Amino acid sequence: MLFRLECKKIVRSAAFLIYCVISVLFIATNYYSDCKGGVYFGEGTKIVEDHELIMYGALNSLMGEYAANKYVCYPFGYYKAVHLKEKDQQKIAGYLREMTGTDEKEFEELLSTGEKYYVGMSDKPVYGFHDVRMTEGFSYDRFLEIMTDTDDMLGGGSDYAPDSLLALYSGVDMTDEELKEEYRAFIEDDKVTGGLARLFCDYVGIDLAILPVFVAAWLTSADRKRRMHELVYTRKISSAKLVFTRYAALVFTMFIPVVLEMIVALIQAVVEYNGESLDMTAMFTLPTFWLLPNLLFTTAAGVLITEVFSAPAAIFAQVVIWFKATITASRMLSGKIGRFDLVCRHNSPTDRSAFLMNHDNFIFSRIFWTVISLVLVVLAVYAYDAKRGGRFNGIRLFGKGGLLRRKA
Amino acid sequence: MASGCLARVVSSDVRHNFLIHYLAAAAVLLMTPVIFGLAELDRSMAALPLETMPPLMGLILLTPLLSPEQNEGILDTVRSKKMSRQLVTGLRVLCSLAVLAILIAALGGYMKYNSCDVTLGMCAGAFAGAAALGALGFFSSAVTDNVIVGYMVSVMYFFMNLFLKNKLGRFCLMSMSCNIKGSKPVLAAAALVLIAAAMLFRRIFRNEQ
Repeated sequence: MLFRLECKKIVRSAAFLIYCVISVLFIATNYYSDCKGGVYFGEGTKIVEDHELIMYGALNSLMGEYAANKYVCYPFGYYKAVHLKEKDQQKIAGYLREMTGTDEKEFEELLSTGEKYYVGMSDKPVYGFHDVRMTEGFSYDRFLEIMTDTDDMLGGGSDYAPDSLLALYSGVDMTDEELKEEYRAFIEDDKVTGGLARLFCDYVGIDLAILPVFVAAWLTSADRKRRMHELVYTRKISSAKLVFTRYAALVFTMFIPVVLEMIVALIQAVVEYNGESLDMTAMFTLPTFWLLPNLLFTTAAGVLITEVFSAPAAIFAQVVIWFKATITASRMLSGKIGRFDLVCRHNSPTDRSAFLMNHDNFIFSRIFWTVISLVLVVLAVYAYDAKRGGRFNGIRLFGKGGLLRRKA
Repeated sequence: MASGCLARVVSSDVRHNFLIHYLAAAAVLLMTPVIFGLAELDRSMAALPLETMPPLMGLILLTPLLSPEQNEGILDTVRSKKMSRQLVTGLRVLCSLAVLAILIAALGGYMKYNSCDVTLGMCAGAFAGAAALGALGFFSSAVTDNVIVGYMVSVMYFFMNLFLKNKLGRFCLMSMSCNIKGSKPVLAAAALVLIAAAMLFRRIFRNEQ
């Protein structure tokens, strides 16, 4: 009964209506438009993890950036030029000498072979190196140690972070045979919808890591806003039952638009791949397992932070989490899923083998965020119960009882 | 006498309701050099921080302008006062826009000092984008009487800009970095229309005088 009432309240709210509109707009402008006309298999690149190729590319890039003392980094997903102090420059020079097998004099000569040019209106030159070679038999493990240390010195997000090395320096164009094999795997192994479901989850996962927090914050703060909280506090129902029922109602209602989007995606796949043997369940099973933890966590964080602090604080916190999970995450948009990734990325309907390679991490991350979500809801129950018993009144900066409120 | 009264209203309103928002917008400004490199950028690279961070300031400054009266207790008190609520809202909008202009000028000045190719026109463009996003939040909040919806619409529009960019055409907030011509006047006009529409809506449907 309470569950139904809460669902009704949510569905009739402006926040939920806007949640539906934005969710549909986001998927229509990304997934549905990308899949219109079927998946294109005319060209593609693949990560080969060729150590020689990676070392060659990274070494030439590092030579150029060292020569200009201007290292391009993306620590928060955005361009940032880092200039190192003399001591750190000396350390990089040492690494470069080690990798090229040169002494100081030879290294200076090598450095002078760089192609010098200017970018934009800057009067400071940048340098290009194209054929500097690693010393014979240089170990890849030692190379990775050097690159990791270099990335640390640059503050992270550089071209030398292990993820970036793979993404930037070991991508090669696929041959016709490889493209045919990709197509075969898409049609026969994934049965079309398996691959499309991964792309669907990639897009929907992004908006499910932020949108639900608004609805959760609205519902959690609604009692106080309407001055109903004291009335609700006096009811017989236990705090655990109330908070969990509201949480379940939030998750249930907010998953309905996602299910409808899955149905539309399946219909689109049936229309585009008429005649192929399609897996009719893949568009429901994989997205549910992939996306539900995103929804569970974002909603739980919204409920807890609103209960303890306020609705704007919950929105702010989730924006930061979302930004960290999407914009500043790995540069590899497919083929790399971490054990603690909230937003799992696989921005491709193909590349099945890369996804399967990360399958254990994927399973772990989904279970991890589900458990974390439940822990957050339990904490929200404690916070709600403490407020109800008058032992806690929320943490606020301003207003009545605020931390920063000036005393008269 | 009247101007003295208005000054007291503004001062009291800022201290009690909006100081934290002004501080949050200033924090966004201070975060900018941490997230972006702000030295020796050419025009297209300089446009990126100028079009990414100011909209967040606009969102923080303009969206919650009606939030104090969304508390029923405060609303009851405000209703009993003689002072026009529309006038108070208008003053809040002006204060927020002034703070926004100061913050964007500070960002542009800092970038110019660090040899970035920044012009006054680019700063004006950044202001138009920031005001448009803030006005969108303000309008949504005014129509739904819910500041959370205001944040929701403006935050999600900002995120859509990060992903869709050119697909948004002249309504793209990052038009300078995406090389879309004629977008900033459209955004400035959209900001004015949204603020006026929000005030008009409150006057007609919420009976605010």
